[in-house]
Amino acid sequence: MSEPIGLVWLILLLPLAGAVTAALLTPARFGRTLAHVPMIVACACAALLAVTLLTQWERIPQGQLLSEPWTWFAAGRLHVRVSLAVDALALTMLTMITVVSSCIGLFSVGYMAGERGYARYFAVMSLFVFAMCGLVLANNFFLLLGFWELVGLCSYLLIGYYFVRPSAAAAARKAFLVTRLGDVGFVLGIFWLWKLSGWQTDLTAVFDHLLTHQPPQEEITAACLLLLCGAVGKSAQFPLYVWLPDAMEGPTPVSALIHAATMVTAGVYLVGRCAPLFALSPTAVITTAWLGGLTALLAAFLALAQTDLKRILAYSTVSQLGYMFLALGTLGAVHPTLAVIAALFHLLTHALFKALLFLSAGSVMHALGGIIDLRQFGGLRHRLPLTHLCFLCGAAALAGVPLLSGFWSKDLILESVIAASEQSPAYGGGYYLLLLMSLLTALLTAFYTFRAYFLAFWGPERLPPQLQGHVHEASAVMSLPLVVLAIGAVGAGAILEPFTHALSQFVATTPALQQAATVVTAPAWQPHIDWTVASISTVLAATGIALAAGLFARGEPEQLPAVLAPVMTLSQRELYIEAVYRAVLIRPAEGLAFLAKVADQAWDGLLHLLAALPGMIGQWLRVMHNGLVQFYALAMMLGLVVLMIFVVLGLSR
Amino acid sequence: MAITGRILVLLVVLFPLGAALLVPLFGRYARRPALLLALLHLGLTAALVGLTVPIMHYRAEQDNYRYTEEIVRFRPEYVPGDVAGKEGAAGRTRWNLWVFQPGPADRPGPKVQFYLGVDGLNLWLLPLASFMLIPAILASWESVTERRGLYYALLFLMQAGALGAFLAFDVILFYLFFELTLIPAFFLIGRWGSGTERRQAARTFFLYTLAGSLITLLGLISVILLFPNANGSVTFSLPDLMGNVQARLQAAQWQAQAGQPEALQQLQRQQTWLFVALLTGFLIKVPVWPFHTWQPQAYTVAPLGVTILLSALLAKLGTYGLVRIVLPLTPDAALHYGLAVVGTLAAVGIVYGALCAYNQKELKRLLAYSSLSHLGLLTAGLFAFNREGLSGAVLHMVNHGVTTGALFAALAFLWERYATTQTGVYAGLMGRYPRYAVIVFVLVLAAVGLPGLNNFVSEMLLLAGLFQARYPSGSGVGLAVVGAMGIFLSAWYLLTMLQQVFFRSVREPPLPAATGRQETLPDVRGREFWAFGIPAVLCLVLGLAPQLLLEAVRSDVRLLTVIGDQARGRAGLPPSPADPAPPLKPYQGAPPPNMPPGMMMPGGGAPPAGPRPPAAFPAPPGGAIPKGPAPLLPGAAPKVVTPRPTGQPMNQ
Repeated sequence: MSEPIGLVWLILLLPLAGAVTAALLTPARFGRTLAHVPMIVACACAALLAVTLLTQWERIPQGQLLSEPWTWFAAGRLHVRVSLAVDALALTMLTMITVVSSCIGLFSVGYMAGERGYARYFAVMSLFVFAMCGLVLANNFFLLLGFWELVGLCSYLLIGYYFVRPSAAAAARKAFLVTRLGDVGFVLGIFWLWKLSGWQTDLTAVFDHLLTHQPPQEEITAACLLLLCGAVGKSAQFPLYVWLPDAMEGPTPVSALIHAATMVTAGVYLVGRCAPLFALSPTAVITTAWLGGLTALLAAFLALAQTDLKRILAYSTVSQLGYMFLALGTLGAVHPTLAVIAALFHLLTHALFKALLFLSAGSVMHALGGIIDLRQFGGLRHRLPLTHLCFLCGAAALAGVPLLSGFWSKDLILESVIAASEQSPAYGGGYYLLLLMSLLTALLTAFYTFRAYFLAFWGPERLPPQLQGHVHEASAVMSLPLVVLAIGAVGAGAILEPFTHALSQFVATTPALQQAATVVTAPAWQPHIDWTVASISTVLAATGIALAAGLFARGEPEQLPAVLAPVMTLSQRELYIEAVYRAVLIRPAEGLAFLAKVADQAWDGLLHLLAALPGMIGQWLRVMHNGLVQFYALAMMLGLVVLMIFVVLGLSR
Repeated sequence: MAITGRILVLLVVLFPLGAALLVPLFGRYARRPALLLALLHLGLTAALVGLTVPIMHYRAEQDNYRYTEEIVRFRPEYVPGDVAGKEGAAGRTRWNLWVFQPGPADRPGPKVQFYLGVDGLNLWLLPLASFMLIPAILASWESVTERRGLYYALLFLMQAGALGAFLAFDVILFYLFFELTLIPAFFLIGRWGSGTERRQAARTFFLYTLAGSLITLLGLISVILLFPNANGSVTFSLPDLMGNVQARLQAAQWQAQAGQPEALQQLQRQQTWLFVALLTGFLIKVPVWPFHTWQPQAYTVAPLGVTILLSALLAKLGTYGLVRIVLPLTPDAALHYGLAVVGTLAAVGIVYGALCAYNQKELKRLLAYSSLSHLGLLTAGLFAFNREGLSGAVLHMVNHGVTTGALFAALAFLWERYATTQTGVYAGLMGRYPRYAVIVFVLVLAAVGLPGLNNFVSEMLLLAGLFQARYPSGSGVGLAVVGAMGIFLSAWYLLTMLQQVFFRSVREPPLPAATGRQETLPDVRGREFWAFGIPAVLCLVLGLAPQLLLEAVRSDVRLLTVIGDQARGRAGLPPSPADPAPPLKPYQGAPPPNMPPGMMMPGGGAPPAGPRPPAAFPAPPGGAIPKGPAPLLPGAAPKVVTPRPTGQPMNQ
């Protein structure tokens, strides 16, 4: 305790130890039953330590802890060091990750019981938490990239957990490849920053250097946009969001982990962490805002008519992440602390209620033996009262029902967008448009969330025939995390920010945010509650819920007014975006691959033809129609000798 | 110590030759002795590496106090038959192979010497060559049944050729070893290869690479004839030749500055032709697009044990030749055309190889094209001619060798069970062979450049080299973009392969009738674990702790970049700035006995006219940096010595 950075290392290494232990248990017989222990113990201890550090934080001078760096690899001017940095932003993330993943781990004990590969599951889950903690803590871009890719790998392994299913195999590959496509940009962005910042790779050093030596505007913009590529891939923003809806092929707790605590939050965190860089480039910032705003609206639209409960939740994640990007996209137009805190606050509350929603959906799946299609079941509120209540809490928080956590965090984002539209010198109109889009998104969110809720839990009880008597509430080990998360989803928002301003005061001490603030001209932000925004969003949420109730409260999925039918069809078919990608990107790439193979054979054939010419002549001459090998060896030696003679003659002139 | 090292160097080359003679005596029972001998050899190499690493680290430390020399030469350690006798270390040998014409003492005639030695550039290739023979033997364990004695003898011969070429500092000796690898490879493919095409493939391979290397030989001989020592005597020694090349170029440069640019222009034209000639053989050997067509066929037809050596060792002969021969002997042309022409070819190869590898039905072929793609990045990065690129290239030779070799070894697992490596017949192997799946996943992830595994480090260095490469006709950023795309594409085709072969429900081909087995073999057995499990572990170790390797490489990479910077000076580009912060901890303890501080190779080359500053400064007492006048190269900006790092991480 005397050495706070040691504590941080411990937080980081505990999940790794958990992963290794669980992996070692794989062959053991009790690995089938006890493999969850290392992960849960590690995550819980890490969470405990993170909270301890949180309470002791005010004693840390300068608001930042740096670890003693050691060299990972270095050559020439590329000097990559392993170093960790903890500040308020990182610590908040760390706490969220470890707490939520502990809950999910506990839930998994019940959910995954008896599955084949039980130990593999918990080993990779623990590794996932390790990777995410590392990502949050890394103070070097290459180390960050390392954990970033490790996160991608873990998602690949977990989405492909049911590897026998072809759809899971395809989804796993898709997730890895799509995020990696973004990472191409990320890598190049890192190199660009390396070059701009006088060959630094440590985040803190890069920030310091770039803030003291203003780089050319275009170059920093290019670097930031490239970084954004990586963030867009990981955080499933348009146009790289396509992997996330498919990612539900993994076990449901995995979806909860990916959607709430890990992976998708990485991009948001990255942009927040790099606030000093983005503050230097208004172009990159407004791009972020537009990407976020568009994604939020698009995904909300796609979620409208899905019939797969998990798919609705997946699109809602994409949409909510869009909100976070939108908040980050106001950075510079508003004070950086407002932008980043709005994004972070929504990230935290979203982590709670989305984990809750996914685990509730998992509970439904568990009860129904894996069925999750809303057309096949309904009216579960009597059979699964606890799950129903928890899902309701999560849905209400997501929809922005007043006083629940999602309400407060969404309001803060709206507030920052309003402020941006008022203050932005160049893009005020753009932000105004974005504000309208985000209000529409809020309405749609309330609608599709409650559509799912009513279809699943209201109306007459509908169950697949084979399950009639078996549907029951899950065991305590699954219920406990649900209850904990439900309490969080309901109360955390109010406690963290609107009345106490604890979060904003805490996170504002982050040195990176203070650095970012030095380059922007926006006025300082005083935390307050904006009651206008609150009332507008209350109205929107109420409208959305009322609409959903009017249409779906009877629990019948296909009862739609004729006006809505084409819209819903478009939404259900996901705007044919997959088909467009397939036609525009995948097919051409495969076509190119085919062409390359043909070209290669042609080229090879041509060379063979050339090579065959002397052979044909040779055959015709009947000089050497066998014993080729010896001949060639001989020819080579002869050639050597001739050349040697040439050398000697040339010298003895 | 010195004498031990020399004996080890000698043994590292001669031991496999001896093994090649010994192994056939065991006939059918040759595989166990072969394995034993390979392990013994690994021990020898390990001892040599253990002796050499401190010297290399010491050299790297010395570089922190060294001004740029005018003329740099490779400084081989542990040269057998060192002229300085038992105790000293001059880095030159007395052992002549052929003396063409014994001349007077002051003007010795041309002689090919048995000139071997270790330095930073070849240090890590030795354990690679030594180590990868073990997977090669283990992968052939059951699949090779006929004439085992001869088979393993030829494997040893191939290894000996590769090791000899890695160690040689005499260009003709290098060439002989380089060609020596060809003969065993030819017989191995033609005799033990699979399918009806094997003779055809062997012939293509042989003719193709031979044609290329003969052109290289022509280039070598031209260099030898064009760049004699100052006293007019012809030399075959690589350090002397590179010194002579630099001296001539610098002399011409001074003339150009005095207003007579003809000599420099003529030299640089000459350089271009020499560059093309020297390059050809190596580009075919790597191979670089479009000279690659022998490769997929040869890799596919050859028995897996041989393919392992082809990909892990022989391909590296090509890239090693580029680093060892082409860059120092034709620096100006390498700067002018290296990235612009070869880099572009390599970049095409990166994308082309990846496209060909996608959805390839034959796994060996897939890996062959993947090799084409990955080595394209290596070749391009190497011609960036800066520290990041060259360090990355040297490291990537080792990393790629281990990863690709091990992947081929992993195919032997399938071959032994089902006698096929077509993708179409397999599915769901993760359920069937979980342990095998884990190992293959690690290897594939290493190949796609996942951080924490080995290839990530070297690929990042190569990209860094490309990203800041400067050459007269542009910058390397475009190549860096292609390189980064290549890393993505490798994930594309390899993960597609994994999806087809390892995911979904189990499907396996019928058991081959030839083996007569009724049941399939179990999951990874001990022998198989040694063949590709241990390399997988090595991938992890090399990925987490690459600095030991990089540190040993640093000094000799710097030496090459000095040449590169001089060429940049002649092309009117500023040299690369010095390292911002050398990461090395000071070498603890006394300098190695055979290397006094500040020692430089006594040069055989001509001292250029004009005042010449001291080549090196000894380490000053107390670590203070001499602030003396920087030795100015006319035309080239002086390289300022950077002080040892004093900066601490910020906010600490």
